[in-house]
Amino acid sequence: MNFEQLLLTVLTYGCLYSVMTVCLNLQYARGGMINFGTVAYFAAGAYAYAIFTQEPPQGLDQYLFGFNAPWWIGFIAAGVASLLFAVITGWPTLRLRGEYLALTTFAFAEVLHSFLLNERRIGNGSVGLSNVDRPDFSVIGLSENYAFVLAAVLLLILTSLLCRRILASPYGRAVDAVRNDEVAAEAIGKDVHRLRFEIFVISAIPIGFAGALYAMITTLVSPDLFTAEVTFFVWIALVLGGEHTIKGVILGTLALVTFEEVVRSLHFETVRAAEIAASVEHMMTGVIFVMILRWQPFTRFATRGREA
Amino acid sequence: MSSDLLVVQNLRKKFGGLKAVGGDSGLSFQVKEGSFVGMIGPNGAGKSTVFNLISGVLEPTAGRVMLAGTDLANVRSSDIASLSLGRTFQTPRSFLSLSVLDNVLVGAKSSGEELRSVLLGGWRSSEPALVEKAKAALTRVGLEDRVAETVSNLSGGELRMLEVARQLIRDPKILLLDEPTAGVDPSLQGKLSKILVDLHKEGRTLIVVEHNLHFLFSIADQIIVLQQGELLSSGTPPEIKTDPKVVAAYLGDEHAA
Repeated sequence: MNFEQLLLTVLTYGCLYSVMTVCLNLQYARGGMINFGTVAYFAAGAYAYAIFTQEPPQGLDQYLFGFNAPWWIGFIAAGVASLLFAVITGWPTLRLRGEYLALTTFAFAEVLHSFLLNERRIGNGSVGLSNVDRPDFSVIGLSENYAFVLAAVLLLILTSLLCRRILASPYGRAVDAVRNDEVAAEAIGKDVHRLRFEIFVISAIPIGFAGALYAMITTLVSPDLFTAEVTFFVWIALVLGGEHTIKGVILGTLALVTFEEVVRSLHFETVRAAEIAASVEHMMTGVIFVMILRWQPFTRFATRGREA
Repeated sequence: MSSDLLVVQNLRKKFGGLKAVGGDSGLSFQVKEGSFVGMIGPNGAGKSTVFNLISGVLEPTAGRVMLAGTDLANVRSSDIASLSLGRTFQTPRSFLSLSVLDNVLVGAKSSGEELRSVLLGGWRSSEPALVEKAKAALTRVGLEDRVAETVSNLSGGELRMLEVARQLIRDPKILLLDEPTAGVDPSLQGKLSKILVDLHKEGRTLIVVEHNLHFLFSIADQIIVLQQGELLSSGTPPEIKTDPKVVAAYLGDEHAA
């Protein structure tokens, strides 16, 4: 893989995953909610995009719905699907605290995964939906690779601006108060349930959009792509980035994606060399995690100058 | 004409088998609008529990609380607070990730707490006035030099004053203060006493739990004495001071007239 290709891949996936970590940052670091089902909202967006834009079923197709809609309708549908899934999962669960909420959201994501795997009428079961429609970028004169980088960067910028706008307002102040001390927040008239629910739902929308973009890039949605591994990946990125600051979590995510992609791009002459490299990668990953957690470079970079 | 703003009727609260408030018969008392009520009693008498029951932090086992004619049964604590009831806690509660100023500002009802207003940016015009109000509240409680600091820099007494400032910006009609002078130095106590007298003069209703009896007897116009969750006595400070039951159970000879 050449350098340009590597950079494009890192930027595209780095930005897509960053959208998820930024939203997770809003939910967890500010809202105090542990969502271990992040992948489900991502999957809801990806599947909604695929279903809305694909051709109606024919021949051996087992799925029932295909609306052949233009890409932008599919994109909006992805945001709506993610929002709806957040409403359905958030309404009954947000009264739960800490690890109970973590377990419940994890379970919801597993249920969705299992549903997509076994219910062929929605997403063709384990085969998934392939040849997912891509927008035509020739009208803006960009090659598809560059167009997707641009789209991912744009989505990340818009998501970050949305989060900043929310957190830098009295709304963000109230959300912080609720996370700090619910009883005291209620004693000054803050509707704790409304605030938690709204933060949970609104932060699911960009994740749905990221799912749609992911489906366009891979042109495939299948249950294999949306396992709990995605959730853990964004959680690790969030921890590396040091929570709390939007810049920090984006840096953490980009660093993690870069590391993975660089390792993946290395070539080995023999199988033995590749095996050794794979083992070394795990050790290196561990060492790098410890170093980042010890010195918190991304948090420091994101908050530099703030103490002065 | 003053009427009963707060009516507590046969209120009972049990924690497991322990009758924390109300004993067998229930606790009843009324608080007239604009009055200054002191609530006293030995440790464990149920004073803070009564506050928690009134403000909806705890649900009563039996009985009811009426605030300005509204039955508070099944009303959430945030909605009770919105009915113009303010309270502080026995152990001061503050929002650690917010600055001192934000800790007060968060008490204000701002249009910027509606998602629509945040997304459209409509809240910005009302913010400067709120900031001024918050700074005025902090000045009133003597924390004007600490505005930009983090809450973790404040001492225990200052945290109490911060809680009071957070309630001042909310402008509540009835204010419940749980041991406001505990751990507060004499100069701040003087400030606090002036604030309470001023609030009373402004027509607000105050209920204050306090062990500092000199402080309380000098400014309250009604005293409620609790013992083991039940009403031991109720009356004006001079009546309470001479009540033999109260002297025996709580005051001792020192405060007896």
